[in-house]
Amino acid sequence: MRTFLLSIALFISAVCAAQVPSVTVENAKGEAFDTKTLLEEGTPMIISFWSTSCKPCIRELDAVYDALPDWLEEADFRVVAVSTDDSRLLAKAKSFAQGRGWGEDFQLLFDKNQDFMRAMNVSVVPHVFVVDGKGKVVYSHTSYVPGNEIELFEAIKKCSK
Amino acid sequence: MKVSCAIAITMAALFAGTDLSAEESDYGKDRSSGYLTGSFETSTSLYNEDDKTSAVVPDGHFGSNNYLKLDYYKGSFSAGVQMEAYSPVLVGYPSDLKGAALTNYFARWNDDRFSITAGTFYDQFGSGLLFRSWEDRALGLNNALLGARLTYSFNDIVSVKAIWGMPRFGMKFSETQVKGADVSFALSNLAGWQNIYWALEASVMDRYEALDDQRRLDGCSPNTTGWSARTNFEHKGFFLKAEYVDAGQKYYYNTSYSGEGQMYHRKRGNAQLIETGYNGNGLGVNVALRRLEWMDSKVVTGSNSTVNMLNYVPAMCTQYTYMLTTLHPYGARTGEISSRFTNSGEIGGQIDVFYNFRRGTKIGGKRGMKVHANFSTYHTIAQEGTFKAGNMLFRDLSVDVERQWSRKFKSTVLWSMQEYSPKYGANKTTWLSNIFVADLLYKFNSSFSTRLELQYLTTQEDNKDWMAALVEVSFAPNWSIYASDMYNHGMTKVHYYNGGVSYTKSRTRVALSYGRFREGLLCSGGVCRQIPAYTGANLSVTMSF
Repeated sequence: MRTFLLSIALFISAVCAAQVPSVTVENAKGEAFDTKTLLEEGTPMIISFWSTSCKPCIRELDAVYDALPDWLEEADFRVVAVSTDDSRLLAKAKSFAQGRGWGEDFQLLFDKNQDFMRAMNVSVVPHVFVVDGKGKVVYSHTSYVPGNEIELFEAIKKCSK
Repeated sequence: MKVSCAIAITMAALFAGTDLSAEESDYGKDRSSGYLTGSFETSTSLYNEDDKTSAVVPDGHFGSNNYLKLDYYKGSFSAGVQMEAYSPVLVGYPSDLKGAALTNYFARWNDDRFSITAGTFYDQFGSGLLFRSWEDRALGLNNALLGARLTYSFNDIVSVKAIWGMPRFGMKFSETQVKGADVSFALSNLAGWQNIYWALEASVMDRYEALDDQRRLDGCSPNTTGWSARTNFEHKGFFLKAEYVDAGQKYYYNTSYSGEGQMYHRKRGNAQLIETGYNGNGLGVNVALRRLEWMDSKVVTGSNSTVNMLNYVPAMCTQYTYMLTTLHPYGARTGEISSRFTNSGEIGGQIDVFYNFRRGTKIGGKRGMKVHANFSTYHTIAQEGTFKAGNMLFRDLSVDVERQWSRKFKSTVLWSMQEYSPKYGANKTTWLSNIFVADLLYKFNSSFSTRLELQYLTTQEDNKDWMAALVEVSFAPNWSIYASDMYNHGMTKVHYYNGGVSYTKSRTRVALSYGRFREGLLCSGGVCRQIPAYTGANLSVTMSF
C-alpha cells in the first residue's frame, strides 16, 4: 500500500500544471454554464470559490471588489466568483452577491453540488486561482487574511504582462 | 495497519506537496500528456479527559480522518480516485467510517454534448429533494453512487441525464440500487428570447432495496418510485422557481414499536418548494416557502446514522457561524412516528433582504454600508395531507449591518432572536433567546490586522445566559493566531476555551488548535449531526496540487 502511494506521489511530481476543466455549473440566471467557456475570452482571470457561510471568503471578495477599479488601471483581467453554496442557499447566494455589489463587477457562477470545486481540487473555501490567458493556473491560494489580496494582485499582474 | 495506511497517505501527499514549487515552475509545458491534480486533507486529534464536560475520550485518546484525492485530465477524458483512512475516526463522526480504503474511483469522457461516467459520481435532481449524492467531510457524509451516468445536452435547449448506481454507505457501497433520469428543457432558449430564461424540468427516480422479514411481513415494497416537476424563470432580476415532488411510498419505522401490530407504516412522501425574489440595483430579496411530508430517504433501512440519506432536505434558514448563534441550530423535520407523537413533516418559509447602501450616499457614507435581514419560521403539519401549520418548530429574526468606517476599520453588528421547540413540535413549549454580536476588524497596515468578536446570548430558558469573545491576529500572507472563550455564566459556569495558530503557503494550510467543545449539533450545508463533548488538540492540514 505504502509503495503504491509513494509511486503515485512521485508521479504527481512529474506532471504538468492544472487547468480549468469542463464542468457544468449555473450562471446568475439559472442557466447551465460550461466552465471551459471561461477560457474563450483569452484574458487572465481570478477564480474565487466562496460560500455565504464563509466569512473569510466574503472578506476576500470584498477586498478585491474595493481594489478592483485601481487594479484594472494596471492589469486587464476578470474576476469569476464561484459560489459553492448548496441548492438550499443558492437563491440566497445570488441575493447576497447582489446586495454586496459583486454582480456589477464579477462574473457570478453557482456550483450547487460542488462539481467544479471538486474538479479544481478545492478542499476548503476560500480558495482563489489565477488563470492566465492561455488557461493555465499560474497561482492559487487557500484561506484568507487581510493583506493576501496584495499577493493575488501581484500574480494577476505577472500574467497580464 | 490503519495507522500505517494513514501515515502512508500523509507521506504520499507530503511528497506531492513538497514538489509544489517545481510544479508551479512547470506551467507552460506542453500538456498533451494531460495533467494530474489532487488534494490531501488530514484532521488529527489527541483527546484528553475533562471532568467539567464529561468529555468523550476514545481508546488511545487519538482520532484521525485522512483524505487523498487524485484526478487525471487529458482532453475529453478524466479519471480519479479518492482514498480515505480513519485511524480511528474523529469523535462525533459516523462510526461507519473505519479503516482505510480506496473509496471512490471514476473514469469519464465528455464532449460538448455527451458525457459518460463509470465508477463513482455525485449528482442531484433539482434542489435535491428527490435525490442528491454528495460529499460533506464536515459531516462525514459521502453517498456517491457507484454505477454509471450518461448526459446529453443540445444547444442549451435540452439536457438529459440518466443514472444508475449503488450509494456509498460508510466505507462500502450498499446493495440499495438507484435508477433515475432528469430532463431540463429551456423554452426561452428555443424561442430565442434574449432577456428571459424559462425552463421546465422533471425527474424520476426508483430506489430498490431487498426486503427483510419484518418489512415483508408489514407489506412493504422493495421499490420506491418518485418523481418531481420543476419550473425556473428569470427576467431582469426577477426570479421564480417552483418544485413539486412526489417521493413515492415510504415505509416509516414506529420508534415506540412494542412488538404488536405493524413496525413499518406506509406513507406518501411529497414536498412543495417555491423560491421567488428580485436581485438588482444593490438589492437582493428572496422568499422561500416549503412544505415537506414524509420526505426521509435513506441509503439503507435500519440505520439511524445521521449521514444515512439519499436526498437533500436541509433546514432553510440562516446558517450562522458565530459561536453563540449556533447553540441550537435547526434541522428540517421529515416525519416521525411514535405512540406519543406523530408528525408528518414541516411547513414554513423564510425571507431574506440584502441591501447595499452605495458609497457616497447619505446612509452609505464614504465607503458604503451593507444591511441584511432574515425571518424564518417553521411549524409541524397539524393534519397529515394538509397545509395546516401546527406547533412551532423554529423561528428566527435577524438583522446584521456591516460598515467600513475607514480604510483600517470595519464593523459588523448582528442581532438574532431565535425561538425553537426543544421537543421538536411535540408540544407548544418553545425557548426564546436573543443574541448580540459585534465583529470588529482593524488593519494596522497591509499585512497586520486584528479581529475581535464580542457576543452575548440572553434567555430565560435552557442554560440561561452565555457570553463569548474571540481575538484573531493575522500576519499576512502566512500566519494567523486566535483565542476564544464561550462561557455559560447563567447556569453551568463552564468555559469553552479554544486557541490555535495557522500557517498558509500557497495552497497548503496547516492549523494547530486546542480547545474544549460542547455537546450539541454540528451543521454543515443545513444538515446537522449530533456531536458529544470533547476536549483536545487538533492538527489540520489541507493541500492541493
